[in-house]
Amino acid sequence: MFRGQRGWFCGSVGQDLRQFWVAEGGTVSDPAVADFLFSCDASHPDTQRIYQSLDYIEDNATVFHAYYLSAVANAEIKTSVALGHFILPPACLQKDIRRKIGSFIWERDEQFPIEKHDEV
Amino acid sequence: STNNCSKMLNYRCSGCIAVGKPLNSRNFTKLLHSCPYQCDRHKVIVEAEDRYKNELRKSLICSKKILLTPRRRQLINKS
Ligand SMILES: [Zn+2]
Repeated sequence: MFRGQRGWFCGSVGQDLRQFWVAEGGTVSDPAVADFLFSCDASHPDTQRIYQSLDYIEDNATVFHAYYLSAVANAEIKTSVALGHFILPPACLQKDIRRKIGSFIWERDEQFPIEKHDEV
Repeated sequence: STNNCSKMLNYRCSGCIAVGKPLNSRNFTKLLHSCPYQCDRHKVIVEAEDRYKNELRKSLICSKKILLTPRRRQLINKS
């Protein structure tokens, strides 16, 4: 599913999600060259650095909640999970956004544990 | 699960249904900006992030200006 894709992981992302990324063919990289930026916590210093980067200001860096990966892991058709539902905005905006749209999809779907596979 | 599927059908814009396209962190925000119809959820998120980015841009420009004022430059040259 992620063959040839480079992913950056904030320190807030659990080991199981990184392992799933690698098991699906992805590689782990620097934020500057990553195709995907994953975080589980917008207020983590690693992720805050992304929000202050020129890439982010210039619309070249969308941070996604790493629960996207557990949603993919649990989906019957892996490609059917919409990446766009997992945008992770800066922490200081989340309260205001929640007030307008209710909870984020990644908050509602928190019950996506990655099923443990024996080969891991 | 079925519950997730029906949930996702409620939100449809290019940010929602662009599945299978080579989307990633590099092109996603631009795709949303170019979407003629954004669903309520994506609209709210994009607007909030755009406001945040504008503030950052302004503060970046301000800090550059402070660095480049003539008085500052004199001080730097003298030292
Ligand atoms: Zn949408």
